[in-house]
Amino acid sequence: MSWSETALAALAVLAVALLLAWRGASRVDRLHRKVAASRIALDAQLVRRASAAVELAASGALDPASSVLVADAAYAASDAGPVTEPAAALKMDGLGPARERAESGLTATLREALEAPEAAQELLAGPSGEVVAALGAAWYRATLARRFHNEAVAQTRRVRRLWYVRLFHLAGRAPMPRTVELDDVLPHSLEPHGG
Amino acid sequence: MRATRRRGHLRVGIVCPYSFDAPGGVQFHVRDLAEALQAAGHEVSVLAPSSDDTDLPDVVTAAGRAVPVPYNGSVARLTFGPVTATRVRRWLEAGIGGRPFDIVHLHEPMVPSLSMLALWQAAEPVVATFHTSQTRSRALQVAYPLVRQSLEKIAARIAVSEDARRTLVDHLGGDAVVIPNGVYTDVFASSPRRPEWTGTPQAPTVAFLGRLDEPRKGLDVLVRAIPGILAQAPGTRFLVAGRGNGAVGETREALGDLAASVEFLGGVSDADKAALLASADLYVAPQTGGESFGIVLVEAMAAGSVVVASDLGAFQRVLDAGAAGALFRTGDPDDLAATVLALLADPARRDAYRAHAEHWVQRFDWSGVTEQVLAVYDMTLAADHAIGGDVVGRVMGLFPRRVGGDA
Repeated sequence: MSWSETALAALAVLAVALLLAWRGASRVDRLHRKVAASRIALDAQLVRRASAAVELAASGALDPASSVLVADAAYAASDAGPVTEPAAALKMDGLGPARERAESGLTATLREALEAPEAAQELLAGPSGEVVAALGAAWYRATLARRFHNEAVAQTRRVRRLWYVRLFHLAGRAPMPRTVELDDVLPHSLEPHGG
Repeated sequence: MRATRRRGHLRVGIVCPYSFDAPGGVQFHVRDLAEALQAAGHEVSVLAPSSDDTDLPDVVTAAGRAVPVPYNGSVARLTFGPVTATRVRRWLEAGIGGRPFDIVHLHEPMVPSLSMLALWQAAEPVVATFHTSQTRSRALQVAYPLVRQSLEKIAARIAVSEDARRTLVDHLGGDAVVIPNGVYTDVFASSPRRPEWTGTPQAPTVAFLGRLDEPRKGLDVLVRAIPGILAQAPGTRFLVAGRGNGAVGETREALGDLAASVEFLGGVSDADKAALLASADLYVAPQTGGESFGIVLVEAMAAGSVVVASDLGAFQRVLDAGAAGALFRTGDPDDLAATVLALLADPARRDAYRAHAEHWVQRFDWSGVTEQVLAVYDMTLAADHAIGGDVVGRVMGLFPRRVGGDA
């Protein structure tokens, strides 16, 4: 192979590598944005759920023991979060074990307090019906947001394992995103159905 | 801005991959969803394949003629190609009233038709609904690497049933939220009965609905069960609704003298369908596969008919594991005959099914389903606004189209 042919081949390889790197980088960047954005949405919904829980506890609609426990669990969840600083909001490492534990705890407590279908029907029909409905809405949205977030995380992790993404360090120093694992199963009484 | 959008109305663009020339489950879903969203105060535009002379709902933009192609084991009317891609782009750019869509909601983005083209070109936040349940598709697996990157654009994935969700998980990985197909239960619950379709204790009526020449709809299973049923309950009348080339003659021939008990109603209008389901004593769903949801079962339950269905996973779930209707072994005419006879002889059991079904179908009513879909839109927009859309993708020309969004 002559000198010019070698140069041409090298140029071609370089061009392909650049193209791969460029497209890979924008893809990774897009997915990173998706992860960060969906995490912010999830965070906001969990905060909304916790504040609806506090409101429910304060409304007097629950029995005193449930009220205290729900309020306690809700405060624990809000103390563990939310993410307020911009730098922290862009981190992609889940919500942190403390927050996830606290949110799961709130879920368990609320489920215990609202599981009985008759009791929940009564609450929804009663004077605090709006608070319960708001809690249900925020809760359902949080379950959606968590699915969508974890979906984005899974896609990102898959793309970041691609050989050219690793070879060119296209993910930069961004941490490997982590899924948010917490118990957010709605009680049957709050599942969103018509009628 | 975010608050006003959430509380206020949304501009939603819905894309349906199948033609409105020959309506089916997905088309009805799209039409009803568009209606339900409009009723909730949102602006909707639907893009669907259709020839120019088909009478379309106002909300639908025709994207050109669909050609029948074999796909997913049956013949689907799809539209594709460069001209179509341009039409999709124009529709996306036009938005509603010259303003861009807030959300683009694609149905079956893995079906090689309009939705796939829209996903490829969309710069708006994308929500996708998956309807299909299939055991295995080589085509999907071959195409997957090609569409994987577009799939990453989907912000939220919805599956219409647990079965559709599983198909999605198996084929594409990842997850989806299950939001069932909606039914306007009131329409069916309040439908008037027709005396000629209403059964009597001596001559009960059994209804079937579906394409007659589509083997998976299971007409054949019912036809083979008919002699057994008539042997014990000779007055039973079978009302068979649906189109199908040549299937009527074949069925009459197969039944011989017994054919007198079978009435073929041909294609029926929506009102006739509701009346048929409200009048018949039993509705039989003998499908042998390819079903991911079973919307007619919900309609039958809402209308007050007792459902007898094959025990496909999707049907088991839609019948609350057999509490809202009777199940028989899929593809087994003898078991179907035995189940029908047992039900005809036991009015108390029919009442029990009806009572359970009346309550159970509420979860499929559009009122609740629309709320859930709007919650998905809400979360999608919340995430999109949190980070300001996909700026880099647009700037770097990663997508074939740039839209002047609010990024």
